[in-house]
Amino acid sequence: MTIKGEKRLSYAALVLPAVIIYLTVVAFPTVFSVLLSLTNYNGGRIFGNPNISFVGLKSYIWMFTEPSGNFYTSLANNLLIVCVSVFGQIPLGFMLAYILSRKLIKRGNSLFQTMIYLPNVISPIIIGVLFNAIIYGRNSVLMEIRRLFNPAAVFTINTNPMAPVLIVILWMFTGFYMIIFLANMQRIDPAVIEAARIDGAKEGRILLHIILPALSGVIVTSAILAISGSLKTFDLIYAMTSGGPAGQTRVLSLYMYLSAFQGAPNYPLANAISTVMVLISVVLIVITRWVGGIFAEKVD
Amino acid sequence: MDNRNISVVTKVVVYVVMIAFTVLTVYPIFWLVLQSFKTSQVYMTTNKLSFPVNWYVGNYKFVWNQVGFSNFFMNSVIYSVVTVAAVVALANMAGFAFAKLRFKITKLLHGLFIVGILLTLQSILIPLFLMVNAAGLYNTRLGVLIPYIGLGLPMGVYLCADFAKSIHDELLESARIDGARYLRTFVSIVFPMCAPVSVTLAIITFTGTWNEFILMNLMTAGDKYKAIPAAVGRFAGALGSDYGKLFTSLTVALIPILIFYALFRNQITKGVAAGAVKG
Repeated sequence: MTIKGEKRLSYAALVLPAVIIYLTVVAFPTVFSVLLSLTNYNGGRIFGNPNISFVGLKSYIWMFTEPSGNFYTSLANNLLIVCVSVFGQIPLGFMLAYILSRKLIKRGNSLFQTMIYLPNVISPIIIGVLFNAIIYGRNSVLMEIRRLFNPAAVFTINTNPMAPVLIVILWMFTGFYMIIFLANMQRIDPAVIEAARIDGAKEGRILLHIILPALSGVIVTSAILAISGSLKTFDLIYAMTSGGPAGQTRVLSLYMYLSAFQGAPNYPLANAISTVMVLISVVLIVITRWVGGIFAEKVD
Repeated sequence: MDNRNISVVTKVVVYVVMIAFTVLTVYPIFWLVLQSFKTSQVYMTTNKLSFPVNWYVGNYKFVWNQVGFSNFFMNSVIYSVVTVAAVVALANMAGFAFAKLRFKITKLLHGLFIVGILLTLQSILIPLFLMVNAAGLYNTRLGVLIPYIGLGLPMGVYLCADFAKSIHDELLESARIDGARYLRTFVSIVFPMCAPVSVTLAIITFTGTWNEFILMNLMTAGDKYKAIPAAVGRFAGALGSDYGKLFTSLTVALIPILIFYALFRNQITKGVAAGAVKG
C-alpha cells in the first residue's frame, strides 16, 4: 500500500464514523424539517403517502396570521429571556467574575464560585418542578411569605406570568456567565495590570481601561450565547408552567413541541416554527463568524 | 498582590454581595432537602419555611421502593456512560484527522460540525422522531443513544480538533519514521496526549446527557427506558399536591449530580469555559 493510500484510508477510518452519525442525526433532520414545513404532512407514513402534497408557504402564512397570535407571544417571550441575559445575567456575571478574579475578597473565592455555579449542573426539570411548588398555588412558599404581610392574602393568577419564569432563569444561569468571564479575566496577563498599578492606576481605571477592553469580544460572544440559550430554553418552562396560563409563558421550542406532540398534532405548524428556529440559529452562526473575525486577536 | 488600598467600605460591600448571591443561589436547594423530611400534611399545615420538627424518612422509603428509582438511575447511567464513551472516541478520531491529515474535503466536513454547535435540538425534534420510528428504534435505548451521540459530536469535534492542532508535527513525523501507521500513531500517541481535552469533553457531555429530558422522554414510552429527568417530570404530575413525596423525589434525583459536581467541580467549570468561549 502506498503512503498516500494509507493516509487516505486512515482518514476515512477516523472521520467516517463521526461524519455518518452526525449527518444522519443532525444535518439531515435539519434539511428534512425545512422540507416538511413546505408540505401538509401531519403524521403517518411519509413515503408513498398519497395525501401528502406540497403546500408552499401556507403553514408559515397561517403561523404569522392566525388570530390568537401564539407565535408572536412565544417569540416575545424568547426575546424577554434574551433581555434577562443581556441586561441581568451578563452584567451580574461580569461583576461577580471581576470580584473573584481581582481577589477583592481574601477567603472563600473557590467556595463562592462553586456555589453560584451550582444550579447550572442541575436538571432544569428538577428546578422547574421545585419552583412550581415554591411559586404557584395555595400551598406555595410565595403565599406563605405574602401571608406574613397580609394574613388575608389569597392565591390569584399572576397578571404577569412571565415574571416568575424570568426570575428563575436569572437565578439559574447567572453563574454560567460568571464562569465564562472569570476564565477570560484570568487569561489577562497579570504583568499588564501590575504595571498599571505601579503607574498609579486605581482599581476603577484598571477595570475600565484594561479588563473591559480585553473582554469586549467575550461580551459579544456571551450575547450570542444568550440568544442561542433562549432558543434552547424548554425543560425549565415545561416543568414550571407547561407554557400556561393560556399559553402566555410559551417560548418557540415549547410552542413547537406542544403543536406537534400534545393534543391533536399539527406537524405543519410545528415544522414551520422549527424552521424559524433554524433560521435564527443560522443568523447567529453568521454573526459569530463575523464577530470572531473582528475580535480574533482579542479573544485568543 | 494585596498591598492595594481597598477601602473598608468596598470590602464590606463586596463581601455582602458575594454572600448574598451565594445564599440566594443555594437556599432553594437547601429548602427542598429540608422539606423532603416532612409529611405532606405537616408541610401544608405548618410554616413552609420552617425546619422539620420530626424528621420523617417515610418519603424516602416510598420513593425508593414504590417509584422504582433504581431503574431510572440505571437508565441515566447507561445513557450517560455510553454517550460519553462514544463521543470521546469518535470526536478524538475525527478531530485528529481534521487537524493533522488534511484533505481538501476537511474544510467542508469540519465546517459542518462547527455549524452544529449553535443548532438547537428542538428544531430537529420532529424529523428525529419520525426517523427513529421509521428505523424501528422507538422505545429502545438505541433510539435515544444514537441521537445523543450525534448531538454531542459538534462540540466534541471542535474541542478535539482545536487541541490536536497544538500537537507538534515533528512528533508525528518521528513516529512515522519509526514505521508507525496513522492509525497506530493515533491510538498510541495522539489519543493519550489528548487526555486533557478528553476529560473536559467527557464532563461536558456527561452533565448534558444526564440532565437531558425532551429527547429521551419523546423517544420512549412507559418507564422501562426512561431516565431520571423524565421520572421527575412524571411524578410532578402524578404526585401533584403530595408535597412530601414530590420534594423527596426531587431530592433523590438531585443527589447523583450533586456528588458528581462535588467531585469534578473544577473540571466542570473549566470545561464550560473552554466550550463556550469560542463556541
